[in-house]
Amino acid sequence: MPGTMADTHLVIFAHAALHREAWRALLSGQPGIRLAGAAGDLAAVTSFLPAGQPGAVLVDQSPPRPDLVRRLKAAVSDCGLLLLVNTYDLGEVIPLLQAGATGCISRDSPVGDLARGIIAAGRGEIVLPPPIAGRALAALARGESVGEPGAGSVADLVEPLSDREAEVLRLLAQGLTNKDMAQTLILSVRTVEAHLRSIYGKLGARSRTEAALWAVKHGHGLPE
Amino acid sequence: MGTNVANHASHDDQRTRVAVVGTLAEFHREPIPYNLGALVQLVSELRPDLLCLDLTPEKWQRGDFDGLPPEYREALLPLSHQTDIVVVPIAGQHPPAEPSGEGWRGRAIAVLRRWLAYLQRTAPNPAAVVEGPRHHLADLLYEAMAWLAGPETYRAWKAHTDYLSRQVLEVARRDPGRRILVAVNLRHCHHIRPTLARHPGIRVVPYTQL
Repeated sequence: MPGTMADTHLVIFAHAALHREAWRALLSGQPGIRLAGAAGDLAAVTSFLPAGQPGAVLVDQSPPRPDLVRRLKAAVSDCGLLLLVNTYDLGEVIPLLQAGATGCISRDSPVGDLARGIIAAGRGEIVLPPPIAGRALAALARGESVGEPGAGSVADLVEPLSDREAEVLRLLAQGLTNKDMAQTLILSVRTVEAHLRSIYGKLGARSRTEAALWAVKHGHGLPE
Repeated sequence: MGTNVANHASHDDQRTRVAVVGTLAEFHREPIPYNLGALVQLVSELRPDLLCLDLTPEKWQRGDFDGLPPEYREALLPLSHQTDIVVVPIAGQHPPAEPSGEGWRGRAIAVLRRWLAYLQRTAPNPAAVVEGPRHHLADLLYEAMAWLAGPETYRAWKAHTDYLSRQVLEVARRDPGRRILVAVNLRHCHHIRPTLARHPGIRVVPYTQL
């Protein structure tokens, strides 16, 4: 089957052995996810993740702490970090995002949503419910801690965004994952990814977060 | 000669690949004899980019899946929800009613419907419905039912099939070069495949080669 998506390699990070086993049992048969391992300490996490493959770490720590996220991010910089939270409290979520978390998912979520979140986190997408993601991005955009892409405004772009790219950028600024954007626009995820690559190039953005923050600052996140 | 073959292969690779699989999805009150996990496994391994379903956009947007067949409700929709498979609802606003009739025609349709239900009940796995003798026999029974119901019903079903084909073509036009799986009632398969195959940008393949 040419061109099929690679599975996301998942490592579960939980201190309690029973929790690790429970997550392993729940997630090992999910489509699109390959369980690489489960660990209770940082050193073991890195050994489970193969280089060059999309990877995610599911962090089960209650409450999740930004200092742990920072250490995990330093250990596995290429991987998505998805944190389990009790509630989507922005006061809790924003420090986690600033520390390097890719997203947060509620402990009340259905398994399907969790599996979907893991796959999205493995690709470095912001995983939060869209209304929360939009507010989190707006709050982050007001802060100074994240870098700015090269372009100052839409008028400064060397090459203008196409209509479709502008649409994708709007959805990005609203905090949608690639799958959500694809489903909204009825396009394949690969096509959305191609549009995003083009958008990053035109904005001079080095990451998804930079592009999203640029879009929020320039009013692209507003609903049509 | 070798270069021509290479060019041809390269052209083929850029075309949108479409596989059309048939379900006996009409019988949503019939118990499915095989494990739907087998269908999930099949589609999960195919991992199409786009999954076209005979479902109206309104039902899709409302998340109203109650009246849908179990293949959709319990297998394909949950799978697409948690993977990168994008669902494309391709049905029109008013899908035609099931064939029915008065007198002997109505009785004959009822008998044919029982045969169809039997074919579904005794299917050992999804592949037995997707292809092979059971698939072709069920297609013939559907054709006979539509014919018995009269020209108006026959035309309505033909129009519905044409609409589904056009929607798949539109999807392929908007997002060329992707892998599309169409999962519809098997009565549509034998009409959709040749319609799609006539378009140069589309390559219709068996589902195993998607």
